[in-house]
Amino acid sequence: MDAADRDLLAGTLRKTMDSCTGPRLDAALTEIGWPELLAAEPRDAVAAVFGLLGETGAQAPLLNDVVLAEAGRAIGGTLPLPYAGGSWVVWERTGEGGGLDAELPIRRVDPGDAVPLADGRRALGWWLVGSGRAMLALARAHALDRVQFGRPIASFQAVRHRLAETLVALDGAEATLTADTGDPGSPGHELGALLAKAAAGRAALTAARHCQQVLGGIGFTAEHDLHRHVRRVLVLDGLLGSARDLTREAGALLRPGRPAPRLTQL
Amino acid sequence: MTGVAGFRSGLRAWLDRNDLSPGDDGTLDGQVAQLARVRRALYEAGWMRHGWPAEVGGLGGPAVLRAVLGEEVAARGLAEPGIYSMVEVLVPTLISYARPELAAHAVPLLLSGREQWCQGFSEPGSGSDLASLTTRAVPRDDGTWAVTGQKVWTSLAQYAARCVLLTRTAPGHGGITAFFVDMDAPGVTVRPLRTMHGVDEFAEVFLDDVRVPADRMLGRPGDGWRLAMDLLPHERSTCFWHRIAHLYTRLDRLADETPVPDDAALGAAYLALHTVRCRSHATQRRLDAGARLGAETSVDKVLLAGAEQLLFDTARDLLPGVLELSGGPWRPEYLYSRAATIYGGTAEIQRNIIARRLLDLGQE
Repeated sequence: MDAADRDLLAGTLRKTMDSCTGPRLDAALTEIGWPELLAAEPRDAVAAVFGLLGETGAQAPLLNDVVLAEAGRAIGGTLPLPYAGGSWVVWERTGEGGGLDAELPIRRVDPGDAVPLADGRRALGWWLVGSGRAMLALARAHALDRVQFGRPIASFQAVRHRLAETLVALDGAEATLTADTGDPGSPGHELGALLAKAAAGRAALTAARHCQQVLGGIGFTAEHDLHRHVRRVLVLDGLLGSARDLTREAGALLRPGRPAPRLTQL
Repeated sequence: MTGVAGFRSGLRAWLDRNDLSPGDDGTLDGQVAQLARVRRALYEAGWMRHGWPAEVGGLGGPAVLRAVLGEEVAARGLAEPGIYSMVEVLVPTLISYARPELAAHAVPLLLSGREQWCQGFSEPGSGSDLASLTTRAVPRDDGTWAVTGQKVWTSLAQYAARCVLLTRTAPGHGGITAFFVDMDAPGVTVRPLRTMHGVDEFAEVFLDDVRVPADRMLGRPGDGWRLAMDLLPHERSTCFWHRIAHLYTRLDRLADETPVPDDAALGAAYLALHTVRCRSHATQRRLDAGARLGAETSVDKVLLAGAEQLLFDTARDLLPGVLELSGGPWRPEYLYSRAATIYGGTAEIQRNIIARRLLDLGQE
């Protein structure tokens, strides 16, 4: 897929995600070719679709498809997915949830079978970075609009540096997602996905903290959109392993005589 | 990138056959001598010439070959990466701004290890606000320039044969002019600075009515600020890649030596290094594709400084007592890492740039 194709795809996806969410979005994406795209161009498809789910604030149960496809199974259904703390969840294709992010139909289930998680982790990484960018956009707009002490709060260095720190975290995480760390099936592919999910989870939580602070009181109301993104990244961070769990898992690879894998080569 | 892969495997085979490991002399004198030895050997064998244009004694090819070479040098611990990487900012400056004959004559002297050079930018009164520098250059009737002022934080000045020197010839950003100055010219005095990590790598340079020929001007009068800004893409692509390779060796050493393996802490340091490695990789790919690098490299800079300090903070935590009570390299390296958020533009200046240029937040 070249840059023009990607732009075209992003435009179509954004329009669709702006117009519906949940099961309706699931159906609409199937109609515009999500299953075929996932089969033909998995990397580009996942980056575009999940990144835009984050940016638009829409949601759909597509993580099931990514994990099912990597396991070589038919897509369109659901399967038990590991969650932080040894829990397992299922992400239903319809209905509502009762969790922290009530829009997501996610509920606890009994432990399921181990499945490959690299592609699912990358997908969630893109979603988390997209949500982080949505929060940054909200905080940036507020900082430029909101006047205190006779000037926009964006002119205060403390505010500027929080937003700069947020961008650094998000851009760093995106670099781990785009990096080529090895072909599917290789150890670098797995580890690269694990590290990318960890970086994205951390970046999204950093974005939530700084953007909430910059938005001040308005960002604490349910009338403002921020809380939806905050809830979403808190829930998505735990799915398929939290930043905290995955970071510890990566650290366990580092032992005497076992050099840290240098993923991605010039 | 088969060309790059072939270069790397050929280089590795050559380095396996030609042992350039440093000796026991860990002093700065020893490090600089080792650096000259490594450059000389790599230049004579051709490796040091790849990625530089033929006009300055190079063999051509993409700049990424220099990143690969520096990564191998850092990974094998052949030369201290900070001083090794100085060519990456000095040589492009000469190529872009020196008269072609001057660049053709001088660059091989540096690449081949016959000379060290330094970069005279910061001044006692001009750190973050570099454009306020006051070292004066005044044209004389005989066509030379007379330079008077003081520089500080000039790495390796006491070893340097030449200096890329920023001077003031008129007010404002457009009044900064660069010269390529011989360090043995009358009126140049160098005083090494003691720093908290115990290595006298930095120096003060005093310039007292130093005569500089007009043909040693780099570019035209007033080009100095642009010259300084043009360095950033080089510093933040190849040099960063070298430093990242070096930091990975320290992470491995930490995992080897720690008596208290703490997976969360080791993992966090690894994740930070991996993140900046991926970011730096993308930056070099963009440079290779012809992109002009700009303010977005401040993101690379913030990530690198943060990763470096996190790594050495983790080393202090997981090697309890070592840097406080024992000798060895961890102490100076930990102390040096404190400067990572200061040199090359402070962490605060980077965030200012990101806020202004990347987030478009308007004036402070």
